[in-house]
Amino acid sequence: MIEKVKQSTSEKLLLVLFIILGVIAIYIFFVLPQKCLFIKDNNPKKLSFKNPENIAILNLNCGNVIIELYPEISPNSVKRFKMFLESRLYDNIAFHRVIKNVLVQSGDLEFGKKDSFNYLYIGTGKSGFGTIDSELNEKVEFKMGTVGMARTNKLNTEDSQFFILLEDAPLFKGEYTPIGKVLYGLEILNTISDDHRREYVLRPDFINSFKLLEN
Amino acid sequence: MRLLIFTLIFFKFFSPVNANSIYYLTKIPNLQIYNLEASNGIKYLKAEKSFTVGIVKNNVQCDEPNENYIKNKFKIIKKNLDKYKKSFLNKINLRYVVLCENLKVSDIRTAGVPNIDVKTLIIDIKSDPKYFERSIHHELFHMVDDSYKNLFPQNKWNEFNDSNFQYAECSTCSNRSNLSLMKSSNGFLTEYSMSTASEDMAEIFSFLMTDEVNLSKIILRDPILNNKVNFIVGETKKIDNNFKFNK
Repeated sequence: MIEKVKQSTSEKLLLVLFIILGVIAIYIFFVLPQKCLFIKDNNPKKLSFKNPENIAILNLNCGNVIIELYPEISPNSVKRFKMFLESRLYDNIAFHRVIKNVLVQSGDLEFGKKDSFNYLYIGTGKSGFGTIDSELNEKVEFKMGTVGMARTNKLNTEDSQFFILLEDAPLFKGEYTPIGKVLYGLEILNTISDDHRREYVLRPDFINSFKLLEN
Repeated sequence: MRLLIFTLIFFKFFSPVNANSIYYLTKIPNLQIYNLEASNGIKYLKAEKSFTVGIVKNNVQCDEPNENYIKNKFKIIKKNLDKYKKSFLNKINLRYVVLCENLKVSDIRTAGVPNIDVKTLIIDIKSDPKYFERSIHHELFHMVDDSYKNLFPQNKWNEFNDSNFQYAECSTCSNRSNLSLMKSSNGFLTEYSMSTASEDMAEIFSFLMTDEVNLSKIILRDPILNNKVNFIVGETKKIDNNFKFNK
């Protein structure tokens, strides 16, 4: 006959402690690294748009960022940008410059490609299509979510790189070419890998796909 | 070669992030917006805490300005910079003015630091009040000079001076630092004018912008200065034909 042994109070406390430690370990090692866990994805098929021909879908690891382009404000820059989107040239390109809560920058078609990423020259690459003139606008505010063409410190040097603002940047008005704004999915951009000690990211996130809605 | 590549990668990826959009434009950390209302488009920024900047070494440093002091000084700075139209400022690459205190370059106090690459002029609001207004125009001229080197060649400028006169190697290489107007001009307005050709030009430009009446009297009795003034006026008009001195 087996005699039933009753757990002592200290054994019960020890068990509870193990369970708590287990829960904390699961949270730290499995839940916290899932940066997409509480991020809402945006399905463009379930949304309606006033000008669907100007809608671009940026697909990242955590879901879709939906961007409306400004052909009326910056016609040449948007035309160039749409050409890259239609050609799917932004697919697998790195977000090489990420300043947490400030902006994310991508579009280096020469040195930012996933399979041929170049740490030395990233950010200096060219598209091969030449530069275009800046289209500055003193009326368009650079608010959080604004998409702009990146350039060197000289005007009229825009090529393929673009940035998306994660905060309002009033000084950018009249300084950079605005090409669009984020309609949905700004919170997804906040999950892009950054490094709080430097602007250029050692292990960057890549664009899965970036295309026009009506591609 | 490999060592060089690793060094470049190290500097690229291990330079600290200075996280705000103002840094993205000016490459100066720790700045905040002070005033964006100027009709000529100048964006006034101020240091929210001390900063150091520089291309090779961080040899430019400046401190956070005192709140009460900056209010009075800003009126003076704006009044003087409002003399320049937006079209002219665009041509000389001036867009941002940074206000701070105790500005130093390589530990030497200076009234201003211009940088046309980032379209920025840093102004020390605590520089000598006696010459403060003039120093704003003096530093702005360095942006004119830097933007149009071909219009202000130093060898041509040297020809205006007596053949036996020589400038110093650099503006801080000599003890010619006094900014007061000299009683006897002899081709130079101040002792500092005698330091380098570039400082000489900047001094004349600053008097043209702040004390044109007095300057016009001085040049009547100094043919060298007269030639220099005519040269600065003529070359500046080539940049912007509508430019008006001392508006």
